[in-house]
Amino acid sequence: MKRALIFLALASLSWGSAMAFADDRRDAILADLAAQAVAADPAFTAFSADRGKAFFLATPSSGKPDTPSCTTCHTKDPKAKGQTRAGKEILPMAVSKTPDRFTDAEKVAKWFLRNCSSVLGRECTAAEKGDFITNMAAQ
Amino acid sequence: MAGDVTKRTQVRIWDLPTRLFHWLLVFAVIVEAKTGFFGPANSLDWHVWAGYAIAALLAGRLIWGLYGSEYSRADRLFSALRHLPEHIGGLLRLKPKHYAGHNPAGSLMILGLILVLLALVATGLVVLGGTEKQGLLAGITPYDVAHLAKGAHQVLAYSLMAMVVGHLVGVATEMLLLRVPLIRGMITGWLPKAPHAASEILRPARPMLAALSIAFSALVVTAVALPLSTHKGLGVPAPVSNVLYVKECGACHWSFHPSLLPRKSWALIMGSLDQHFGEDASLSAEAVKEISTYLDANAAETADTEPANRLRGVSEAEPMRITATPFWRHQHDELPPQVFRSAKIKSKANCAACHRDALTGRFDDQNIDIPDTSKAGETQ
Ligand code: HEC
Ligand code: HEC
Ligand code: HEC
Repeated sequence: MKRALIFLALASLSWGSAMAFADDRRDAILADLAAQAVAADPAFTAFSADRGKAFFLATPSSGKPDTPSCTTCHTKDPKAKGQTRAGKEILPMAVSKTPDRFTDAEKVAKWFLRNCSSVLGRECTAAEKGDFITNMAAQ
Repeated sequence: MAGDVTKRTQVRIWDLPTRLFHWLLVFAVIVEAKTGFFGPANSLDWHVWAGYAIAALLAGRLIWGLYGSEYSRADRLFSALRHLPEHIGGLLRLKPKHYAGHNPAGSLMILGLILVLLALVATGLVVLGGTEKQGLLAGITPYDVAHLAKGAHQVLAYSLMAMVVGHLVGVATEMLLLRVPLIRGMITGWLPKAPHAASEILRPARPMLAALSIAFSALVVTAVALPLSTHKGLGVPAPVSNVLYVKECGACHWSFHPSLLPRKSWALIMGSLDQHFGEDASLSAEAVKEISTYLDANAAETADTEPANRLRGVSEAEPMRITATPFWRHQHDELPPQVFRSAKIKSKANCAACHRDALTGRFDDQNIDIPDTSKAGETQ
């Protein structure tokens, strides 16, 4: 009985720290993006969820014809599941629904590179990326 | 003369095993024709099991041809053939002679049917082994051999259908011209005595000998079949395995089995990831290198399944698309286009949505399962 309690305590401890770890990594990614944003534009102050939302819903039409918007695959509702053009399910972008979103720096960089190239026909700025993540983390 | 046929003495022509054989064979051939000519593709198991049933029935009937009662004996078929010219002459004058058991034309038909059925079973096993990599010959049949056998299997199947029609016409002719109730005879075994039949000594059935022969044959077949059935399919590739490949190339679609395209096509795809079917799918140089090596080592050239053999023939206009190959189009031309656009499938390239075994590269007929797309409002 005592052992089981200790085990439970340990388990919940490690679970709790995993959650905290996830947040740390997202914060680190955001901090890195903020530093880049300041470097690009000294007037930059903070990321904005509202700008991120507008960016997400926009249809820039400067990218590839089959992918006019981020919502083409992620749908307009960040809490809903999306779908790729080839039929594969995409888990919701909202962090409340998919807690490990934006916690793997390499993955985040890879998908911004691809999806911005597909949708906007260019790389996204650090400010756009930070706004996007800030908006999704608030959802 | 033909009018008093019903008043004639009845004789037992067909013994029970022969009658059972006849009607079970009829049933099995109907199952084969339905599943073989009309599908659906995922009824292959029915087709195969009915084929095994026909093989067993034929084996039993051949043995009964040696030990059955008089009219079931095989040698009667051969001796009846000697009267074929005379019989045809009678038919042409619409006055055929009434023979006990199979008449000469019927005997010819029975021999033909048995030969064609045996050939169908043999070619069927080769096709199953070489194209589907299933069944007793899966471990030893190359695809190319099976592809030839498939042509033969089809010609034989059409021949069988023509012969079945001929058989039915023959039965109808005799029933009309001689008023012999042949169908009832194959059910009850009893038929009116042939009027001018020479009195002959009727050999009795030898059921014990027949049973022993059947048991012995079953032992021989099991001894041959058991070791064969444990063979791995010849040239069947390993399932999709490379972790990096699954992670990167499985992000936007299922991870296509490498055996579904030839090396040249994979190289083209890996060399143009920033322009990937209307999207940017670019990867780091190291990832491109590892994935290219994996695809090259497991491309269609390395496997001997039906998809690997047939999808090697890529379309010249779109060599990077599996779905543009003539084989793929031919296999899927009967599916309505809106099925592919439905929410659960969305793309022709979503093979795994309909093929449960897509990741193995086998694409067995039994594993085809189209998701229900009938619900309204699901198409886009
Ligand atoms: C063509 C379909 C498609 C479009 C359009 C698209 N995405 Fe994505 N996105 C994906 C897929 C697929 C993934 C990876 C799947 C996953 O992580 O669940 C992904 C992942 C991401 C990720 C990484 C998420 C993480 O967990 O780290 C980010 C960030 C992202 N997308 C941003 C965007 C932005 C910004 C846009 C618009 C400029 C956009 N996407 C448009 C398909 C798309
Ligand atoms: C960013 C998303 C994305 C990634 C990552 C991706 N693909 Fe694709 N792929 C697509 C889309 C979209 C299509 C076109 C689907 C359609 O036409 O319906 C496609 C089609 C294909 C096809 C052709 C399917 C057909 O129609 O026959 C092949 C082969 C293919 N991809 C291989 C790969 C390989 C190999 C990789 C990894 C290096 C990869 N893909 C990574 C999005 C992606
Ligand atoms: C909408 C569902 C669906 C999708 C998606 C689909 N298939 Fe099929 N496929 C079928 C059906 C149904 C058949 C059987 C056609 C027939 O013979 O009646 C079939 C047959 C085949 C066969 C022949 C099987 C055999 O042994 O006869 C191959 C190989 C095959 N598909 C490969 C593919 C590949 C590769 C893809 C993806 C690029 C794909 N299919 C996508 C439904 C689908």
